[in-house]
Parts: sequence; structure tokens; C-alpha cells
Amino acid sequence: MTAVRFWLGLWLGKIIGSVLKFLGKKGTTFPGVIAQKICPDIIKRLAVAFVEGTVIITGTNGKTTTNNLLASILQTAGKKVAFNREGANMITGITGTLLQNTSFTGKAKASLLLLEADEATVPYLCRQLTPNLAVITNFFRDQLDRYGELDTTIRLVKEALPPCTGLILNADDPLVAQIGGGRTGVFYYGTERLPVSRKESKESREGRYCSRCGDELTYELFHYGQLGIYQCLKCGFKRPQPYIEAQEVNRKETGISFRVDGDFRVNGDYEIPLQGYYNLYNALAAFCAADRLGVSRENIRQGLISFVSDAGRMEQFSLQSCLLTLTLVKNPTGFNQVINTLAGMGKPLCLLIAINDLAADGRDISWLWDVDFETFITKEVAINLVICSGLRADDMALRLKYAGFNEQQIVVKHELKEAMALLEARQFLSEDAVFVLPTYTALFPLREILTSKNLGKKPSSGQTKAECI
Amino acid sequence: MKLILYHLYPDLLDLYGDRGNVMALKARCRWRNIEMEIRRVSLGDDIDFSQADIVFLGGGSDREQSILVEDLSARATELKQAVEEGLVMLAICGGYQLLGKYYRTADGQEIPGLEILDLYTVAGNKRLIGNVIAEITTFGKDLSELTTLVGFENHSGKTYLGPELKHLGKILKGYGNNGEDGLEGVRYKNIWGTYLHGPLLPKNPHIADQLLGAALSRKGYDANLSRLDDNLEKAAHTAIINRFRNS
Repeated sequence: MTAVRFWLGLWLGKIIGSVLKFLGKKGTTFPGVIAQKICPDIIKRLAVAFVEGTVIITGTNGKTTTNNLLASILQTAGKKVAFNREGANMITGITGTLLQNTSFTGKAKASLLLLEADEATVPYLCRQLTPNLAVITNFFRDQLDRYGELDTTIRLVKEALPPCTGLILNADDPLVAQIGGGRTGVFYYGTERLPVSRKESKESREGRYCSRCGDELTYELFHYGQLGIYQCLKCGFKRPQPYIEAQEVNRKETGISFRVDGDFRVNGDYEIPLQGYYNLYNALAAFCAADRLGVSRENIRQGLISFVSDAGRMEQFSLQSCLLTLTLVKNPTGFNQVINTLAGMGKPLCLLIAINDLAADGRDISWLWDVDFETFITKEVAINLVICSGLRADDMALRLKYAGFNEQQIVVKHELKEAMALLEARQFLSEDAVFVLPTYTALFPLREILTSKNLGKKPSSGQTKAECI
Repeated sequence: MKLILYHLYPDLLDLYGDRGNVMALKARCRWRNIEMEIRRVSLGDDIDFSQADIVFLGGGSDREQSILVEDLSARATELKQAVEEGLVMLAICGGYQLLGKYYRTADGQEIPGLEILDLYTVAGNKRLIGNVIAEITTFGKDLSELTTLVGFENHSGKTYLGPELKHLGKILKGYGNNGEDGLEGVRYKNIWGTYLHGPLLPKNPHIADQLLGAALSRKGYDANLSRLDDNLEKAAHTAIINRFRNS
């Protein structure tokens, strides 16, 4: 009987999801509600199909960014991950995410599952599955009204985590750090000092008192909020030595740079393209988790620096009477997904592909030869023009030639501005589809041009975002 | 006219776009109405090297490489004989190292190679990564005016050639075989061995055509290849030189 419920839940959930998607609705939560009603332990049954297991990310702030940063790193390392999107971090949303990432035959579409989980959902979730790793970002008072005392929330999370689950904890937050007490397999992350760190703090803050003995904590340095270098003079509880510790943290125009020492042969300098020191913590949490998942420092660096928030992921603009879509391409897997999407549209295409080879793009562009541009030819996709741009425009053009493109279809314009001008000068019909596909460092300049030229950012309502695993 | 290319372990050695070399050879045959059959050969498959006109061996990660060394060692004698008889072979990075006598790891262990060429590799303590420009020193008959080699290297092994072996090029930019003697790659009979990814052949069409010419002439065909329009190839080649030559 339970098997029948499982299949019914899976199929019905997936069918409802497809219908919603077809109607242009988001469709993660509602299919989850239905599937849960039919098969209450569906999370357990779906999660086992992800062979490399599950990582959960919880805490008050930064869950989504941490989850996305971790996904970016793992994808850089070539892992196939499935992860939930913002707002889908409670039972039904998580169920919906699992449904989307499972085929009708019950096969997982990825090998590793990353789940951002609302704190109150953690106990239920941990009864359904045993995470390999649990990442806890921080505890602040924002959900007090929802779950009662902050301490209750923390206690519920602490008690729910199975003993064999590895923990990735924020060393600088005493409320998070204390969760590791008396456990094995705990890895802390933190920072020695931020440019804003002070000896004294006038901020009101959580966790003023030691969670072990109740005495007031003494701070050597405050980073922000209750985060800092602390200790309890009475019972000896103190900030644990981090496994991943950021040093030389600096704000840059483009983001934040920091050092993490490791093997002397490995370059210890890292950078994230995000502002806000809370994002440094998100990056360190993702860094620490990725390290425990066996990802190399090189891939961690690349995954962090090439992280892109929602800007530039299937972002839409209007150009004349047709739609222009801007989307980042950075590795063969992602590029192939874009190509498959384009080939399935059944529209005449015009492409602008901009390939740079700066540090954030990856200096080696040989990966272009691992992308299946041949799909355009074998599926006989109508392509009017491909403008190749960027520092490696010639390599891109050459790749297309060997994929079987006609040289008349290819134009090389190294300068991004010129390439975009060429695109705009063409006459497009409403049935045409225009795609701008840049690597990381070409993305923002192109986006800038698109926004400034008043090409009219298209409201995204009714447009389903392409789901990228 | 038909050529048979053996692509060795394409499922294991799938790094850095090296399959582009096979694509380049195939396309350059197609454009000249030469038929090229690609045979993908992997672990445990029967290989009859006497049927091959060109053999391609790319590079992989250490783990993949150790798996296939064992498999390929069983056929080393046969491959060596074919090479001595003029079999055309392109070996890149890990594949290039494999042709030698051994690879000495950081803790001094010597992992035996196929011992086809008198060269050996020693683990380095620094990865040699970056764009490479080399001047070709051992040149045969050429269809184009290109006299350089461009590509991208990414290796920590340092390779040293025996006294009798010729290198493929002299480094103008980058590290090459070992970052010490200024040499890049190896040339022996009809073997081309190199550290260059990029992939090598699309941006170095003169090398692609050398391989094809050698394979055709060994098979008794006319090795005078018709000229192709290589404007895009040359543009990509010279773009690397202009950008990195003095960087």
C-alpha cells in the first residue's frame, strides 16, 4: 500500500508541477502539498535516490546565499547537485524541490541534494533523512514570533541533528558554536577580524550569556552583532578554533577579498563578488562545507569568484519586438543546458556569445570544446547569426566552425560594445529569439549596456525561469 | 581515401577539451573528401594497432590515468612496434607522459610508463599553468605560414627528454616540458607528444595537416593535402601570439 502511495504521490505531484509550469506559475509548493497528503513519508523515499546524500543549510540569515554559493562551488567541481530555491525551505517546498529533481521512474536527476531548511523544519526533516552535513549560519532574533524563544529554536535544531551528521558551524556566533559541544565531526568557520571589528560594542545583541553556565561572555573583539572572539571566564567555553578561518579580510569595489591558509602549495587568496560582511560568512560556510565534501581549493576559489546571484540567469530584456535573454555561461554542463533550451524553442535564433579568459572566467577556455555546439547542427536549429565577442572571440568562432556552422553565420567583434551595437542594428521579427551568452567578466558590462540603452527590462511575471540544476 | 583514427579511452581521458583534436582531424578530412572513421577504444576493448592510421591519447586526472595505465601496458609491445613502423600518434599531457619510461611521484615512487620513448617525468611541487607559445623547430613539409605552436598547459609533472629525442618546439612563452630547459613536447618518427591543450589542433592547423599528411603517406596515398581556408584558425592562432607574446 505504501508503495502505491509513493508512486501516486510522485506522479500526481510531478503532473501538477508540469501543469503549473505550463500555466506560467512557479509551482514548487503546491505539488509538494499534494504529494505530502498522499504519501506523508515521500521526502524519505525521494531523498534516498540521491547517491551522494544530503547537505542541509539552516540558521536565521544567509541560508539561500550559502546554499547558492555551495551549489556554485560544487558545480565548478563537476558535481551534479539539486537544490531548493528561496522560499521553498519548508516541508512542502522541499517536497516540491525533490519532485522536480526526480524523474517519473523515481530516479534522481542529480547525485547530491542541497536543502536550505527553515529552522523549525529541521526536526521533521531529520526524521525523514540523515544529512551528511548540516551547515548552520547564525542565530538572530528575526523569527521570534514564529517559534517562541530563540533558545527554543536553537535547542530544537540541536536535538534534531543526528549524531552521525557532520556539522559546519559558525565559530564566531556563540549561539551556533555551542551546538558543537560534546559532538564529533564538527568543523568550524570564522574570521579572525573584519575591517569593522571593534573592541567594544554598543549594539544590542543575542547570546550575551554563556549557553553552558549562564555567565556573561567576555569579548576580545566584536565583528558584528554577537559575532566575534569571545569566551566565558567562568566555565571556559570559548570561540572554537576555526577549521576554515578568513584572514586579511578586505572590502573591494567588486566584493570582498580574504585569505585562508592551507597547504603551502595552494594559493590562499579568495574573493567573492558580493558586498556585505554577512556574505563573507556565507562564503566561509560554503567553503567549509565544500572542503568537507572533498572539493579542491582551486574549485572552491573558482566557484566563489564566479558566483552570480539572480542577475544574468535567464534575465529578459526586450529588443525591438522580440525578447532578448541574457544568461551566464561558465562551464560545459551549464552551456549544454542553455543549448538544449535554445534548440527546443523552435524559433529562429540570433546569438551573441562573449568569451573572456580572465581569472573569474577561468584562464583556460579549452572547455568550449567540451560543449556540444553540434546540437544546433544535428537538430537543424535555424540560426541567423552568431556574433562572437570577448577576449576569446576567435576561439569561439573557430569552435563553431568545427561544430559545422557555416562561416557566413559567424561574425567576430571583439569589443562587447561593438558586438552589442551590431546586434541592435539588425531587424528582428517578433518570432525571433535573441540570446546573449557571456562568461562571467563579460556578463556585467553587457548587462550594463542592456540596461542603459533602455532596452526595457521585461517584467518576469508569467515567464517561467529556466530551471537549472 | 579513408583513414582510421583510434581515440583511446575517450570516456576516461575527457579533460580540457582534448576531444577537439579529434574533431579537428575529422573536419579537415571531411573538407577534403577524405573519409575518417573514428573508433573509440576503452578499457578491455580489443585493439588491433595494425589497423590504425592515427592514434590519439589525451590526458586525464591522476585517478583515471592510473586505471588505464594497467590496461594499456598489456598492449605496450604491440603499440611500440606500430610506432616503430610509422604509426601516427598524437599524445597530450598525461598521454604524453605515459609514452615515457616512468613517472616519479613526490615520494620517490616510480610508476612505470609504456616505455615507447626515452623520456621520463618527475612530479613537480608547482603546477605549470598558462598560455604557451612555442617556436616549431622540427618542421616537415608545411602548407601554411605558421611556424609557431600555441596552446594552454596545465601540469605539475616535469618531463625530460633522453639525449636522442627531439623536442617539438622551443618555448617563447610559458613553461613547456619542465619549465627549465625551454623545450616543449617531443617529436619521434610519426609521434607528436605535447603538454598543450587548447585544444592543440584546431588552433594549430599546420600540425593537424602534418599528422594527416603522415598518415596518408604511410598508407600509400598522395600526401599532398589540398589547401583549406584557414582564416579563422590563423586568427585564433595569432590572437594568442599578439596577446601573450610579451605579457
